[in-house]
This record gives sequence, structure tokens and C-alpha cells, in this order.
Amino acid sequence: MKITLTVNDAAYPLDVEPRRVLADALRDDCGLTGTHLGCEQGVCGACTVLVDGEAVRSCLMLAVQCDGVPIRTVEGLAGADGEPHPLQRAFSAERGLQCGFCTPGFLMLAAGALEHDPALGEEEVAALVGSNLCRCTGYEPIRRAITRAARDHQNGQFHDRRQ
Amino acid sequence: MVDRWLRREDERLLTGAGRFVADLRVDGCLDAVFARSEVAHGVLREVDCSAAREVPGVAGAWSAADLPGLPPMPDAREGAATREWPSLVRDRVRYPGEALAVVLGDDRYRAEDGAARVRSRIDPLPAVVTAQEAAGLGHVALRGEAGRPIDDEVWEQAAVVVESSYRQQLLMPSPMECRTILCVPGGDRLTVWSGHQAPHRLRSELARLLDRPEESVRVVVPDTGGAFGSKSAVFPEFITVAWLAVRLGRPVRWIEDRRESLLVATRGRGQDQHVRLAADADGRLLAYELTVEADVGAYPHLGVAFPMQTAWMATGPYTTPQVHATVRSVLTNTMVTYPYRGAGRPEATSPLERTMDVLATRLHLDPAELRRRNLIPPERFPYRTPTGRTYDSGDHVAALDLALRTLDYDGWRAEQARRRADPAAPPVGIGLSCYVERSGGEKGSLHDYVGVEAGEDGGVVARCGAASSGQSHATVFPALVAETLGVEPARVRLIEGDTDELPGGVGSFGSRSAQIDGAGLQHAATLLIEEARERAARLWDLPVEETAWSDGAVHPVRGTAAMGLSELVKRTGPLRIDERYEADMAFPFGTHAAVVEVDPDLGAVRVLRLVAVDDCGRALDPAVVRGQAFGSVVQGLGQALYEGVPFGDDGVPLLGDGLLDYLLPTYAEIPPIELGETRTPTPRTPLGAKGAGESGCIGTPPAIVNAVADALRLDHPERLQMPLTPDVVWRAAA
Repeated sequence: MKITLTVNDAAYPLDVEPRRVLADALRDDCGLTGTHLGCEQGVCGACTVLVDGEAVRSCLMLAVQCDGVPIRTVEGLAGADGEPHPLQRAFSAERGLQCGFCTPGFLMLAAGALEHDPALGEEEVAALVGSNLCRCTGYEPIRRAITRAARDHQNGQFHDRRQ
Repeated sequence: MVDRWLRREDERLLTGAGRFVADLRVDGCLDAVFARSEVAHGVLREVDCSAAREVPGVAGAWSAADLPGLPPMPDAREGAATREWPSLVRDRVRYPGEALAVVLGDDRYRAEDGAARVRSRIDPLPAVVTAQEAAGLGHVALRGEAGRPIDDEVWEQAAVVVESSYRQQLLMPSPMECRTILCVPGGDRLTVWSGHQAPHRLRSELARLLDRPEESVRVVVPDTGGAFGSKSAVFPEFITVAWLAVRLGRPVRWIEDRRESLLVATRGRGQDQHVRLAADADGRLLAYELTVEADVGAYPHLGVAFPMQTAWMATGPYTTPQVHATVRSVLTNTMVTYPYRGAGRPEATSPLERTMDVLATRLHLDPAELRRRNLIPPERFPYRTPTGRTYDSGDHVAALDLALRTLDYDGWRAEQARRRADPAAPPVGIGLSCYVERSGGEKGSLHDYVGVEAGEDGGVVARCGAASSGQSHATVFPALVAETLGVEPARVRLIEGDTDELPGGVGSFGSRSAQIDGAGLQHAATLLIEEARERAARLWDLPVEETAWSDGAVHPVRGTAAMGLSELVKRTGPLRIDERYEADMAFPFGTHAAVVEVDPDLGAVRVLRLVAVDDCGRALDPAVVRGQAFGSVVQGLGQALYEGVPFGDDGVPLLGDGLLDYLLPTYAEIPPIELGETRTPTPRTPLGAKGAGESGCIGTPPAIVNAVADALRLDHPERLQMPLTPDVVWRAAA
């Protein structure tokens, strides 16, 4: 099927099989390998991307379902000027990553949540962190990172790409 | 803004610019998918790949019969007769998921289509998954012991003897990135990209298996998504992929998915244990006996000997005068066991620490006091144990005291007493675990290759044989070299994980990188300073003693003229130190403590508090060490409460729903965890670093299990076997 994926504001005209999952299309057809596959059954969340602003497991979605829908991946998280997203800064500052394999999924999950609700509370952050798997950090640094980014956001340091 | 990223790894990993093996694009690369056995054990009658070959986009499909030259797995054991481990099953399936055929496709979809069309016929045989059952069939691959047998009269005359049995369940290491290999033949060379812990070893093994000169193989380790011990070997799939790449003259890769990882990745632990612990009436330990039956999987291999680590470490942190450990490694019908974070030390710590708590109960002694009476005092180091280890240094009581203070041990004991007096209050339990472990490696792997090179541009390149899979080497090692040389850390960069860069290398496992490679890099930097001083002395026509080094420059002792590395290299030529650095093993230690609340009616365990006090000597980067310690504690929590590999009667793991069946801890399971540190440097290197990062897997599980036993006031702790699922706890409480 001929589709066009719109990823991080760039158009990728593709000819894909209906069965092709979004993650594979992003990684192999668009060359955006920042989205990682950790389980391919929707549990680990490493492949989380934003589809029309909603966080989805890109291993559980077909590429053809995303024709013409705006998609954001970790490659599009930083601002147009290259300024890192507050989440990216916060993950580094709080040591929210070690091997970095699960990291893009956590970043996109949190980015989507922050855009929906800039004033994320403790419980919302806990629910977010509990959605994905990380085997290195023990999660607490990830929780701190998202909390820090939310605070930075409220202090007006958040660069909102939707504007 | 220089400080935007705390680690050098962070920018690429946070922006999607990391490069893991599956991210590498090579034109014409074929994807390998394996058709796997659905039975655990059976006689292979037929494999038919013909339909697979007809699938569009499939480049080829082969069974063992189609590839007579395909080499089998190397047998790393010495002596003892062996059972060959073919890279593709020849006539007998010995573990579930064992590869029957390999299909190469233009991409993974094509290859999976092909693999789905491979037909096989297997006559099933009974599968054996427990050591005891398999030992009865004579499948003993190794017998070993540490220490000397203990006389009967010791047991007969002791005031108390505690006897108990424990199971150290099979665990999946479960790095978020499964195994990967990409083999690219080109000219006379084969370049192998793999997320791996020991690139030089992988190079040697592949070169030997492919019967080609070692220098014709280059192994490169790019970003690696965790390993925890599980990526340090060569695997049947690696051999098949490398061999086909060479034979076809085409790039081939295998990117393991989670489903096959849960079936065929190496697993950790896997021991049935029996212990006897004797003490006098004052609680002084007299003798300890540990019997290990290890189920090591389907083939004799390197992992067969790893249970000996448990035997050597059986003494633990106590002054027990007599300790005897025996090991029997038995072949079963599972994928093989192999190191998983802790690798033999968790299996040593757990039975001893659990039994210490039972002993304390029998003696009506506080478990902390019992331990205090027996911990090796600082003045006894170096301490030679009855099981043959010589511990380098330690202050175990200091770690215990810090853990008790951090936990507010007395406060929790008071709370426990209060709840015990109140029938409506849910019971709480407090568990302790004092551990000592071994880091750096064993004889034969207590060295590494290191190098420090100064460039004309003023930059410094550090090289070492380690390979990071999340341990921040690119940040930590340059900082160490920079500190030694007295230059800005930004001037130093690290090259590792590339066999073309160093003549040899050992790798990153057994908590060895900071301890061995770190000490080696510090040493090499020191040698570079000496060489710089000698060269400057010649230039200035001065005795070396009249030169000095400070802030990255050499200068005459008298006078102010200084020459930086850049100028020195310009004037005297390339300046590179390469060393094979050797050190001895070290023994990190600590105390972990847990407080749990148990609902006896539901069997639910709620961990209220975890404290982990670790001593790994000098920490090169304390925040990095704490990060690893924390993650390690959470993996230990996983073993204690959630993780395990259950088997059906047919010997197939009951993990059909992947990570919905194999329960890795999520954030929802993380209790408040507090870390503490004591610092007792190892005297065995000038650097003083011991290994870090495995402590949580070692110290935490028995602390949690002891806490649950304490909450339930169990007389028969054998009923509590990990993982402590609600079912296990409910039955134990009943």
C-alpha cells in the first residue's frame, strides 16, 4: 500500500505491506532508528512514539494506520533550533538512563503526557514510569527526571512544538 | 553549554542518535530467523526447508543436514568427556527452542515467512528439568568442592545445628536489547558487530570456529542495550550467522527478539541447595556445609563450572572455622545457564544468610547481633577462608552498623513488637543480609589491555579491552585518565569495544572494568607521565629527577618553563603507552536490609523499605556507582518476589506470553530504597577500586526473604522459596 508517514514534520512516501508494523516502518523505511524494539508485544514500551499526539506502542500499530497522521519520534523531540527538550536535559541530569535502550520510549511517553497536562502530578508521573520497562536504572531516576522536566515546563522552560 | 549532558553517552542516547547493532544499515544485508523446536527433548527425524526456499524474498534455508561444514559450539571445558553442541540440531533436540533450521531473507518479514514454512518431525522424549532427576540419569557434568569435609562430631557437639534446603530459581537476565550480531564479509576480513561484553574473546572464538586467522576478524561493539552477563559468550546462532555470511559472501545479521530470548537466551542461577550450619550457645559459628546441585542446561559448556563460584564464596563474611561446599553440575533439558549479574555469589549469599536468620531464632538472638559476633573484623585481613579465597580488605561491622542506622532498625523492631501485640495489625518483618562477593575475575581473566596516547593536537586517547553495555565507560575512564594526567577531562576520549584498536582484551564481566581496566588506565597514564619526563629531560639535557609533572605538563624542577603534551609530541614524536595490566581479585561487601508487610490471608508482600549499604572500595564516579547499585537492588527485588522460569510437564517454559509471564519489576513495584556506602579501598591496586554493580542481586534477595519469614514467624523457612509469589507466601503462612 502506498502511504505517507509524516514523522517529525517530514513526509516519507512509502509502499508498505499492510502487515508492516509502525516501528519497522519508522526504523527501516524512514531510517529513524531511535525508536527501539524491546519485546514486540506491547509490554516494554521501548518503541513508544506519539501518533497524533497520543503515546502508542509502535510495535502494536500498523504503518498503514498512520497514513497522513502526524508522528513524533525521539529524533524530533529537540526543538527546531536543536535545543534539547527539557525531558532530554532532565534524563541526563537525573541519570535516568544507563544503557539507553529503553530511553526513547520513556521520553516519548513522558513528552506526550506533558503536552496533554503540563502540570503532571506525582501520581500521573508514577503511572507513566510504571508503563514501561527499564532493566538498568531501577526507575527512580526516571521518575525524578520526568518530575524535573514537568517542573521546568511549569517554569516556562518548555519548548512546545505545537505552537 | 558544556555541562548540559552529565555523561558523554547521554546526548546520542537521548536524541535517537545511539547506534545499536539493529540500527546499523548495511546494503544487501540478510536477516536470519531460526526455525525452532517446540519440544524440549526428542529425536529429530526430519527437517524440510524446501517450502521455505520458495517464499519470495527468502535467500536460503538450511538445516544441519544441508550444512555439513557448520562448526558446532566450542567446548570450553577442560578434560572430561563431552557432548557436542551442534549449531543447528543434527539428530537430538535437547532444549526447547533449539534451532532446527536457519532462514535468511531480504528482511525479517521474509525470513519469518520462510521459517514458518520449515517442516520438522521430532519424536518427543521425556524432558528432565530438575538437577535431582537428571543426576539420577547420570548426567553429571562436573563435580567439585571447596574446603574440607567436616567431622561428624562437630555437628554432634554443636549447641545448635540448623539444616535447610533452598532453591535458587532460574532467571532470565533480560537486558532490554536482546542478543545481536551482524557479520559483514569484505575482502579478506570479516567484520562482526555485536552487542557484546567480551569482543576479543568473541573474535578469537569466531576465528577458530571459522578456521581463519584471528587478525582477519574484527569485532566491534557499538551501543549495547544492557547485558548483565548474558552477552559474554558465543552462541549457536552467532556461529551459524557468521559461517553463512562468509560462505555466501554477504552481510547477515541476527537480531534476537524477546520471544526467542525467553526461550533460548542463557539463564542465570539454577541451583538446589542443602545447608547445615552449626554454632555454639553464644552464637559463634562452628561449621557450615553447603551442597549444590546445579541444573546447568542441555550441553556441557563454560557455565558448567560457574557453580564453583558459589562453593568458593560459601564462607561468606564470617569467621566460621570450618566450611565445606560441594557442587554437582547436572545436564538437563533447558537452555544452558550462564552468568547473570552476581553469577554464583547470590547463590552463595542467599542460603547462608537465610540460615543465619533461622539460627538467630533458635538461639533467641537478634539477627543483627548474631552477625556482629561472627563478621570478619578489619584486623584479620587479608583473610584466608576455609573455601580457598583470600579476602583483600573489609570492615563488615561498619557496613552492618550503617545499614542498621539507615534503616532505623531499632525503630522497626519496636514497630514490629507493637504490631505483634495488636491482632488487627498486618505483620511486618525485618530481614538482614550481610554479603561478600568477588570482583575482577578468576585466574586467567585478571588482566586487560590498556593504552594511553597523547596526540599532537593536545588530545589524549585512552583504550581498553572492556566493553560498556550501560556502565558509562566513555565518561568514567576519560575522567580517571584526565585526573591522573592533570588535564581537562574534555581532552581525553575513550576507544573500546573494537578489536582492531588493541592487541588483546578481556572484556566487561564479573565487575572487572573499573577494578582492572580502571587501575590499568591509571597505571598507563602514570607510565606516560614518566615517558614524558624522560623525553623532556633529554630535550633539556637534565637528569629526569630534575623534571616534574603537573597539570598535564612537564617542567624543570627549577624554573617555570613548562611543556605540554601537545608540544612534547610535536618535538619528540608519537607518545603512546600500551600495557597488559594484571591485578588480583577483590572482595566487595556490604549489608542489605528489608522491611516488609505481609498480608497472610492474601499472601501479598509489600516491601516498605530497602536499604543497601555497599563497599566497593574507591568509586571512580560515585553517582555512576549508585546508579548501578540501585538498578541492581531492583533486579534483586525481581528475584525475591517476581521472576522465575516455570516449566510445563513437557519441559517447555511456561512463558508463552513473553514479558506478561516473565515478570520484570516495574516502577509500581519499587519500594523506597536507600543506598549507603562505606569505602574500604582494595590494597591490591594503587587505584583501590573494587567491582561494583552486582551487589543488589547478591545482597537484596535474602534480605527480602528473611523479612517475609520474620513477618510470618516461620519455623520452616524452606516453605519460602523464591520468587515469593502470593501463592508461595500464602501456603507458607497457612
